[in-house]
Amino acid sequence: MRGLKYRIRFEKREKISTLRVLLVTLLCVALALVFCGIIIAATGFEPLKVYREMFLKSFLSQKGFQKMLTASLPLIFCSLGVALAFRMNLNNIGAEGQYAIGVIAGGAFVFYGPHIEGFPGILLLALCCFLGGALWASIAAIPKALWNVNESITTLLMNYIALEILTYLCLGPWKMSGQNVAQTERIPEGLDLPELHVFGFDISVGIIIGIIAAVIIYIVYKHTTGGYELNVISHSTKSAEYAGMNIKRNVILVLAVSGGLAGLGGFAQYSGVTHRIMEGMPNGVGYTAIVVAYLSRLNPLVVVIVSLLFVGLQNSTVYVQIMGVSVRIASMMQGAIMLFVIAGEFFQRYRIIVTGKEVAAE
Amino acid sequence: MSLITALLAGAIMYAVSVLYAGIGETFTERAGIMNLGIEGIMLMGAVTGCLTALKTQSLALSMLAVMLVGAVFGLVFAFLTVTLQSDQTVCGMAILVFGSALSGYLGKNIASTPINLKFQAVKIPLLGDIPFIGEIFFNQNILVYIMYIILPLSVFYIYKTRWGLKLRALGENPAVLDAAGENVFAMRYAYIIFGTVMMAISGAFVSLAHTNVWQDEMTAGKGWIAFALVAFAAWNPAKLALGALLFGFISNLGSNLQIYLPQIPSEIYAMMPYLVTIIVFIVSTGSFRNKRTDQPAMLAKPYNREDR
Amino acid sequence: MKKKILSLLLAAVMAVSLAACGGSSAATQAKEEPAAAEAADSTAAEKKDVKDLVIAEVHYSVVEDGGWAQAMHEGLLRACDELGVDTEKNLLTVENIAEEDTALVESTVDTLVDSGADIIFGCSAGYATIFAEIQPKYPDVIFAQQGNDVYDNIVEMQIRGYEGEFLAGYLCALMNEESDQLGFEASMDEASVRTALNAYALGAKYANPNATVQVIWADSWYDLDIEAANAEALINNGIKYMGMEASSPAVPQKCEEKGAYCIGYNIDMEANAPGAVLTSFCWNWTPIMKDIIQKTADGTIKISDNYYEGGECSKLAPFNDALVPAEIQDKVNELKSKLESGEVVVYAGELKDDKGNVLVAEGETMDDEVILAQEFFVDNVIGGKN
Repeated sequence: MRGLKYRIRFEKREKISTLRVLLVTLLCVALALVFCGIIIAATGFEPLKVYREMFLKSFLSQKGFQKMLTASLPLIFCSLGVALAFRMNLNNIGAEGQYAIGVIAGGAFVFYGPHIEGFPGILLLALCCFLGGALWASIAAIPKALWNVNESITTLLMNYIALEILTYLCLGPWKMSGQNVAQTERIPEGLDLPELHVFGFDISVGIIIGIIAAVIIYIVYKHTTGGYELNVISHSTKSAEYAGMNIKRNVILVLAVSGGLAGLGGFAQYSGVTHRIMEGMPNGVGYTAIVVAYLSRLNPLVVVIVSLLFVGLQNSTVYVQIMGVSVRIASMMQGAIMLFVIAGEFFQRYRIIVTGKEVAAE
Repeated sequence: MSLITALLAGAIMYAVSVLYAGIGETFTERAGIMNLGIEGIMLMGAVTGCLTALKTQSLALSMLAVMLVGAVFGLVFAFLTVTLQSDQTVCGMAILVFGSALSGYLGKNIASTPINLKFQAVKIPLLGDIPFIGEIFFNQNILVYIMYIILPLSVFYIYKTRWGLKLRALGENPAVLDAAGENVFAMRYAYIIFGTVMMAISGAFVSLAHTNVWQDEMTAGKGWIAFALVAFAAWNPAKLALGALLFGFISNLGSNLQIYLPQIPSEIYAMMPYLVTIIVFIVSTGSFRNKRTDQPAMLAKPYNREDR
Repeated sequence: MKKKILSLLLAAVMAVSLAACGGSSAATQAKEEPAAAEAADSTAAEKKDVKDLVIAEVHYSVVEDGGWAQAMHEGLLRACDELGVDTEKNLLTVENIAEEDTALVESTVDTLVDSGADIIFGCSAGYATIFAEIQPKYPDVIFAQQGNDVYDNIVEMQIRGYEGEFLAGYLCALMNEESDQLGFEASMDEASVRTALNAYALGAKYANPNATVQVIWADSWYDLDIEAANAEALINNGIKYMGMEASSPAVPQKCEEKGAYCIGYNIDMEANAPGAVLTSFCWNWTPIMKDIIQKTADGTIKISDNYYEGGECSKLAPFNDALVPAEIQDKVNELKSKLESGEVVVYAGELKDDKGNVLVAEGETMDDEVILAQEFFVDNVIGGKN
């Protein structure tokens, strides 16, 4: 009798092509869907029917795409901010809190500031939100720069404080009267972020600002000396010090801008979508941003696309629920897709080599 | 019982509920792996505990099931992060999302239903009769007593044994261990699984010792607190226990201060535990005198033999 | 095109299944026929059989939360049941829709309307602003929203929760013979929570003019640790009887452990701590929801309608007989009938707030608007916020 003996070997690829990344990612999503399909089938639904409903309505219909565009606003900004910090090995887990403080700063401008409306008003509002987020991040950035205090812990814990302040304001001094809802009055309409109507879509200016921000970050990172410095520092602080770069200043700057972007996420949501400040407004976006940033491999341009897809996936939970599938199954699907896609990265980086050797069996 | 003993006894209950997860995460991070999925695994532990307790009417069996579920999640997480070297942040978050959704699904039909089993407080004879100390430390449930054993053991393990030395090296410089012929991958698998088992126990503590029900998302952020406290404690279980006690104590204190110092808005008391933790953290870990940090150098960086 | 065929098919299937339903019993057939005939001559949207209505509910959490959402969901299920609505087919439940995520709320409404929803129940106060803004887009859909009477274009529903809590406070004060001090564990400083707290305090005062209620805030909607710690702080301060506004069983269990007593909230919590829960305050949405559904079917509902119901909607669960003596039960029941007959009014003068301002003058009663907004704490509450 003869037999075959297989050996599986992994070999690192020299170069990873974009096409390959795309193909493997798609394959992983497909595998994740198969995995979830088993769960869906086990709960008594037809997976194919569920998926069709999900994808047709959430991603491939005009309505679905429109919803995706609107709902993705804060996530895009927060993810951009988080990705920026991560690129410099700064673990900013505090986008949630920076978002909240950004909104609060914006609210302070609306409620106590001068009554400026129209373009200058919106610009000032955005600036306030940016500064609010930046300031909140700086509270963690300064101890990091000066005394090397682990920023992931400080930023994480500061989220709770920021949300507590937001809750206090929404239930207390800023609450709209005559209501039992933790929300503020509507923002003056002159401060609404305008929408453009293109090809039948209502595209919020916020999305455009988000894309511009992504492009700017990309260019700064790739083509300026500042970006080069960040690149060096992220790879080795030692060599950066030798080269005479000011690491402390860069740490504070990057974390502050990162927080500011999260604050802008708050601005986009406040001025462009909710038009009110609400208790618990960040609603976990700051944490989702961490996932989006990593899944995009910290590339700001990819961040925009991944944010959109992520929001589409979240929106799809509604369609699934209407079919009778439990909301938990829909959430599990999100987790599973994340797991499979990230696991698939291995197969982008490595070549699988299976060698078969004929052996004679006794 | 006087106020202060009640406060301290309450702080211990709180501390233990995050300590199991915290010690688990400490070992995992010492091994160079960061597991952000604590909350999801805790919830899985919590729901498994309740489900098995209802089915089997045995707390021992439920704890066994809880540990098993923890181990399964650990195995998956280890496969992804060690074998496939996937990004640990995303894996952790995915486990979190998946775990909390799955726990909700499994517990759908028993949500808020009281379970007739619970880890009741048991007074230890003699020790429990010591005034003050007895009431605080020795009038607790069995999971708390087990923690009294695990805590010193884990400190001893990390700092005083050969295995502990290897564990620390695992997070600092796995290549050296590998060169010395140690199986880096197997060790990381083991520590990850130990970690997730502990996290699952933490969850069961919440659902079977703290209360006796399952409710959706009932851990309410404890996993994140545990995660923060691990770095707060500089990856030292003893300091971790102190941190958890401090956090629980201040949180409990706030409840009482609302009666005695009503002038201060209660929101301030709600912020207090976080605020104090941040300040203590900055003061205790800041490199004011050029102190080196205790963070495992290779934390969250996958180990790959070819990159050696 | 494909979608059209699909919906046609779906409609055909529904028609067949409906016919099958109707044929099953002569009585239902007789009931359906006139409805169908009437529907034919007037416009279809105006009058429908209640069994043909598609009812949707939107929740901010999952419906098994052991609290608010569960009370609303169960209320709706009972209403559907009593009206004979097939909940498998005609009830759409959407969970985990955060009210802060207004884009998601809007898209949910949109999707529900696309799926044929005739009524959408918003089961959390935060949806009100969004529903009111979105309603003009869908004039044929009835938006029934839990909340105060603020908007003219959505049906708003609220329960006079203070009636049940008034009885709860009365019960605790009667039981609390040794002291005047009662406790209250409260979640967040919001109008619905203040309603519960103030009514509890007023009920206590009705039994014992010297009764005071010490409140401790959790500043969180759900936190086992803080709720338990708050209950313990109250107990350590010598308080034996307390009310609560919380969704977890942490307070009852702490009370049981320390030998104190409490009133459950949202759902009947007696099983969670049989040694401590005297009774529970329960929301009962069924009568309101049933009325809204029936009126929608009849075409008699107005979108400016407003419900603010007490009585059966705001009730106490059965007493814990092992803990509450029969004569006290009788007294509470007696007060209940007095409330129903209007002999006793909860918010009646003279009523002062905790800063000494007169809220309601002697001989007058408070307006519903003021009761709904609850921007005060009554004078025997200790620890109210500013």
